Amino acid sequence: MKLLDGPGRAKRGKKTLPTSHGLCGNIKGRVLDWFLRRDRDDDLQEEIRSHLSMAAHDRVADGEDPQTARLAALKEFGNVTLTREATRLSWGGVWRSRVADITQDFRYAIRTLRRSPSYSFVVIAVLALGIGANIAVFSLFNALALKPIPHVDGSASLGVLVARTDSGRILPLSYPDFRDLRDQGHAFSGLAGTSMDAYSLGLGTRGERVFGEMVTGNYFSVLGVGASLGRTIQPTDDVSPGKHAVVVISDGLWKRSFASDPAIVGKTIQVNAYPFTIVGVTEPGFQGSIVSLKMDLFLPVMMQAQLRGFDLLGVRESPMLWGLGRLKPDSSIAAAAAEADLLSVQLDARQPARRVSQRATVIPMWQSPYGAQTYMLPAIMLLSVMGALLLLIVCANVSNLVLVREVSRRGEIAARVALGASRSRILRWLFVENLVLALPGAALGMLASQGIDLLLEPTSLASLAPVPVGLNVSLDWTAVVFALVLSCASSLAFGFIPALRSSRVDLAGIMKDDLSPRGGSRGRLRNMLVVSQVAVSLLLLVGAALVIRSLESARTADAGFDPRNVGSVSLDLKPSGYDAIRGRSFYQTLLDTVRAQSWVESAALTAILPLTLVDSNSVDAVIEGHNPRPGEDMRMLINTVSPEYFATLRIGLVAGRDFARTDASDALSVAIVNETMARQFWGTPDGALGKRMRLGGGDWRTVIGVARDIKYARVTEDPRPHVYRPLEQNYLPAMTLHVRSRDPEAVLLARLRSTVQALDPNLPILTARMLTELTRVALSVFSMAAGVLMVFGVIAMILTALGTYGLVSYAAKQSTHEIGIRIAIGASRAELLRRFLGRGLRLGVVGAICGLVGSVAITRLLTGLLYGVSPTDATSFAGAATMVLTTVLVASLIPAWRASRTDPIAALRHR
Amino acid sequence: MEQNTRPPRLELLQGTLDMLILQTLQWGPQHGYAISQTIRAHSSEALQVETGSLYPALHRLQKQKWVKASWGLTETNQRAKFYTLTPAGKKQLLRERDRWEQLIAAIGGVLNPNPAKG
Repeated sequence: MKLLDGPGRAKRGKKTLPTSHGLCGNIKGRVLDWFLRRDRDDDLQEEIRSHLSMAAHDRVADGEDPQTARLAALKEFGNVTLTREATRLSWGGVWRSRVADITQDFRYAIRTLRRSPSYSFVVIAVLALGIGANIAVFSLFNALALKPIPHVDGSASLGVLVARTDSGRILPLSYPDFRDLRDQGHAFSGLAGTSMDAYSLGLGTRGERVFGEMVTGNYFSVLGVGASLGRTIQPTDDVSPGKHAVVVISDGLWKRSFASDPAIVGKTIQVNAYPFTIVGVTEPGFQGSIVSLKMDLFLPVMMQAQLRGFDLLGVRESPMLWGLGRLKPDSSIAAAAAEADLLSVQLDARQPARRVSQRATVIPMWQSPYGAQTYMLPAIMLLSVMGALLLLIVCANVSNLVLVREVSRRGEIAARVALGASRSRILRWLFVENLVLALPGAALGMLASQGIDLLLEPTSLASLAPVPVGLNVSLDWTAVVFALVLSCASSLAFGFIPALRSSRVDLAGIMKDDLSPRGGSRGRLRNMLVVSQVAVSLLLLVGAALVIRSLESARTADAGFDPRNVGSVSLDLKPSGYDAIRGRSFYQTLLDTVRAQSWVESAALTAILPLTLVDSNSVDAVIEGHNPRPGEDMRMLINTVSPEYFATLRIGLVAGRDFARTDASDALSVAIVNETMARQFWGTPDGALGKRMRLGGGDWRTVIGVARDIKYARVTEDPRPHVYRPLEQNYLPAMTLHVRSRDPEAVLLARLRSTVQALDPNLPILTARMLTELTRVALSVFSMAAGVLMVFGVIAMILTALGTYGLVSYAAKQSTHEIGIRIAIGASRAELLRRFLGRGLRLGVVGAICGLVGSVAITRLLTGLLYGVSPTDATSFAGAATMVLTTVLVASLIPAWRASRTDPIAALRHR
Repeated sequence: MEQNTRPPRLELLQGTLDMLILQTLQWGPQHGYAISQTIRAHSSEALQVETGSLYPALHRLQKQKWVKASWGLTETNQRAKFYTLTPAGKKQLLRERDRWEQLIAAIGGVLNPNPAKG
């Protein structure tokens, strides 16, 4: 002990300390105090030393011998450390001394951990994996639910005003309904209207298909988004229909297609073949209000007729846009929804002719179908649960490491207790030590999460979607706070049990150099940790296996059509100046030319691509002879196709015939329905033939054929009634050409491009891709979930292997002596191998059983995410169990083998 | 903590240590060891000041500017930190003595009720 070093050392205290006189009470003094603290410490030490030396001196003067006198003085003084601590407390108040203590703890922890780099490295790495996986999931969650609209503050709390049909389907509102609800409602402080559409953007001879929103004049002010150039859409752009040909373009489009032209404002572009003046560019970072999709154009809703070709602004029956609004501080989504419901009842009462099948309502942003949230959130929730489980394994694993380490530190802890450290102080010290490992773990985890998110994005979304996708996945302060909370929580979790044990040191035991595990309880705890790791990683693997098998069965699922070997080329004739007559003839010529090629098996045109997550349009249908029940959903999905569509996509016709050339505009109006529709309204497919219906108030159409159901938008959808109209009788300028061919992809797409260009060199080709590529987006949820779960599963396996390895090798090390004796009295190596292998395997089996039971209970929650696989799928369960048990076997084999190789002489001599 | 084997001693009442220290310093600057010795001697060994209380108290008094501290040499030529009573400390001592007298009187009153006063 330094204090006993004698008077010689006392000379060190040369500095006479400026006491805190005149310093205290002002900030400068306090800051100085900080720096002087160390000096003050020295000063105090010096003071105590002088006290002891005087006390000893007095005793010597009384006749004691110097040695005894010094010891007696020290004895009389009492606990030097405690005195120093107590005095220090009187200096700077409790708070400052706590901070100083904790800084000291941190410094000490870093020093200690630097001495065992491999331990620190493993713990940091394991934590980084666990925390990283969770941050990755969290940032997805953050992007979808917490900050759905990039660059818009508080976007998660926006309310979405929509119509809900009696069957629960969410639809946009008609413009008159929206206007009435907006003007009569009081729940919103600002309510904007918007709708999403694809637009053809004409840039001279080049063309581009972009997505945009048609918005009300207050859209930008409600969202709080400004323009980086020019202005945004204003209320003055929302006055008279057809008079506001202005457009605001996104920062992305400005950079991409206009080379960041600083003089862009005032220029004219063709949107859907109508000239619009660019009045502004949005602030960078803003990408529209559709979650995860990038919008490039913002157009006034007043230009609806010019953009779409038909005027819906005055039509109460046609769904057109939805409301997006900020709630007043004293309102809530529920209150706004109740108000909207009441208002829509009043509206209906004033419009007696209207068929009541829907009510207005307000839903939170995360439930809005306009964007990726509703379709991704269940997956994200699943991933969050899995992430939490993974973190549990991580904590169990690190707990294990801490426990092992604790054994070698018991001497140190005992010394601290003997020197008067309180139990809470020791706990705090151990906690700080864990935190020192957890914080870099969290930092690394953030880096890792970026890797995981990168892994997710390109495979699942960006490159596959037919729409430019931009999820707001970025590390922001929420993620940082999340990481900090996680790391603190996990360091508490993994350090708590070991620390509690450590702080309850048995001084006597340590004096006796008893390093063997105390009784069975510690062994039991370690066993439990391994069992729980095995169980949880089995659970994760089962989840991963189920989702991967879902992905597989979704991929190979019978979607009702065959997307393979089909090239798809999207065109829009309108921007190039085609009217309906020239358009019809162009499409006819295109089909004739393509079908005449030797490399083409069949070709057809369609308005809507199947299985691309894009809902087909729907129209209100009137079926001849069918009286809809009150509230019956009579909206039918609808598509417009050319003859040979069913043959090209290999959709079977179960009754009747395909559209033919003879179904021209002047012939009988015809339709083909799907099987579900035929059965719903006419009993059998054959029964539907010759029956009539009206679509959206049009002419009577006669059913001439019944096609098999296909998956229209997503793999998991339920069968719904669907109607096809022939292109000849319902001309649309924007169509996609499907061509079935045996040609290799690249060749086919190049040939298609040149065929189109030969017909009209100035016609822009909007997209030219294989259909399989386009439909893959429908699998994106599965592939994303499968990707993440696979990563989680692998991490879980690694951790379980580490845990088991650690346990068995620790057990082997603890019983080196015992092994020595066993070998000496004739145990065979095989016996020893079996013994240690058995220990690991037993735990593995117990863990696997727990994991299987847990999986059966938990995988039921997955049902919504699974496709074609039962939540108790035996293959997944068996596969996961085999993988986990193999891992456990291998992980115990290595240390068990090493133990069986123990040299008995060395083992026995060791003690 | 080690206990000493000296004659039975009295526990210091909460808050009285500060007063005793200030009182001790009235006779001149003293260092910590001397203060404890003085208190012990003046109380005929009945009051034993724990160093674990003495030094925190001295530093507390110093922080409140009731005492000043400076290093110096003892008569036996050893370096020691001497504490000196400040004018503010003197006033504080008077206040504390006052309070103490009142307390003693009050406690005395309770212990030996004086019917005449009643």
